[in-house]
Amino acid sequence: MFVLAGVAVFVLLWEGYKIVGSQDGTVLFGVRVLPRADDLSMPHLWTVLQRLGRPELTGGRPVWIVVLQACAFTFGITAVGFLIGAFVGLLLAVAMQQFRLVERGLLPYVILSQTVPLVALAPLVAGWGGTIMPPWATVAVIAAYLAFFPVAVGMLRGLQSPATSGVELMRSYAAGWWRTLVKLRFPASLPYLFPALRLAGAAAVVGAVVGEISTGTRGGIGRLIIEYSREATSDPAKVYTAMLGAALLGLVVAGAVSLLEVPLMRHRRHVEVVTL
Amino acid sequence: MSAVVVDKVTKVFNQGRSDEVTALSEVELTVGDGEFVSLIGPSGCGKSTLLRLIADLIEPTAGTVTVAGKNAGQARRDQDYGIAFQQAGLFEWRTVRRNVELPLELRGMGKTDRKTRAEEMLELVGLAEFAGHYPAQLSGGMQQRVAIARALAVQPPLLLMDEPFGALDEMTRERLQTELLGICAKTGTSTVFVTHSISEAVFLSNRVVVMSARPGRITASVAVDLPARDEAARQSEKYFEHVTAVRQALRGVPASL
Repeated sequence: MFVLAGVAVFVLLWEGYKIVGSQDGTVLFGVRVLPRADDLSMPHLWTVLQRLGRPELTGGRPVWIVVLQACAFTFGITAVGFLIGAFVGLLLAVAMQQFRLVERGLLPYVILSQTVPLVALAPLVAGWGGTIMPPWATVAVIAAYLAFFPVAVGMLRGLQSPATSGVELMRSYAAGWWRTLVKLRFPASLPYLFPALRLAGAAAVVGAVVGEISTGTRGGIGRLIIEYSREATSDPAKVYTAMLGAALLGLVVAGAVSLLEVPLMRHRRHVEVVTL
Repeated sequence: MSAVVVDKVTKVFNQGRSDEVTALSEVELTVGDGEFVSLIGPSGCGKSTLLRLIADLIEPTAGTVTVAGKNAGQARRDQDYGIAFQQAGLFEWRTVRRNVELPLELRGMGKTDRKTRAEEMLELVGLAEFAGHYPAQLSGGMQQRVAIARALAVQPPLLLMDEPFGALDEMTRERLQTELLGICAKTGTSTVFVTHSISEAVFLSNRVVVMSARPGRITASVAVDLPARDEAARQSEKYFEHVTAVRQALRGVPASL
């Protein structure tokens, strides 16, 4: 319901701007502050939808099939990257929770890792990994590199969330590190884990798309965006179909996380989580 | 055999640092089997510290703590005591019954036995029909009762309670006091009860141990001898005499009883 309302608002804004906006964009003191509203920069939404139904190249398959196939390919990479990233993030969080020294030594680097520009890093990963694994796997590694971060930070906070009384209670039951982790810290961290997983899902999509582009991996939605954008001058609607595909991918990943969340978070309070 | 023997225990926090604090100094305390002992004193007198030492949640700097004839660490590993804190500290992701089952689960008790025992305990605290509820659906007093049921679940010979009724309103507090006495009488449990309420200490205890701060020491021990512990007892002259005695001991006046 609200999703549909959101789509409606977006359509109104897009088409509304096309009506009122200047064809050449609004230029203030030599700087273009508002984008061009012509059909080349902002094609009508129905043109984009129509483009989905027409063949990619003359006599080829319809664009929507190509886009969906590319989405499926990238989804596979995203899923692998997401799982690796979530797992690594989880391990890091557990290590940081358990050893104060690890937290103090590692956390700054975990944060630092995300300030390295992805476009600079991706070719390096491709270069290192290119000889030992297929191209899709290097892209998955890049996706994992982005995805592990929110999980590590969010999970750390979640694992640290139980009150002293809970920890002391477990100690009074003579429960060791592992049983305290399983019976207390993991369940307590769930409200922190799911927002982190949602962020990680989005990050994995971005990582996979950008990774595909900068490593030149064929078959995915990232590659499709690059290919279609080359035709932007002659066929402006085409590149938007690929972007629509990327957005769809993000929705599917977010949906998958929610699917996991709904049964596990029933009866649970939700916490406000700020993950940097 | 005494339930608890605390022998010349000293506890210093942050030893050797500028913020060194002597929380307890040469404390001696013996709790007999089946005895109900309250620790009372101003904040910072180390009464919670003493309870935590008995529970082996922290270790003494000097002296020894013996619980049920063993050192405190062994007693903890054998789960010879049940503990309840001021905050009920229930696990919100578990139902009431599964919360009570937690210590049994960690002891490796089988599923059906666990369920039976948990239901017995909930019956004892009068929450049998709430077994399937989640803690968030319960009032503060009910949560505290679940915490007590959880502490009693392993049927420990010793019950340690750190201001368990501190956060409750007066009505609930008095009702739970009566319930607790009933449970202790039924199960024959020895109890160490930390509180800062004089009336609560007197009403519940066989003995009220009065402590003073900086450094935490035991300054007096007031034996409480009430013929009965019911609503009438709260109004009795004897009760008020004991309240006065404890109050004077807290102020440093030698006890007259």
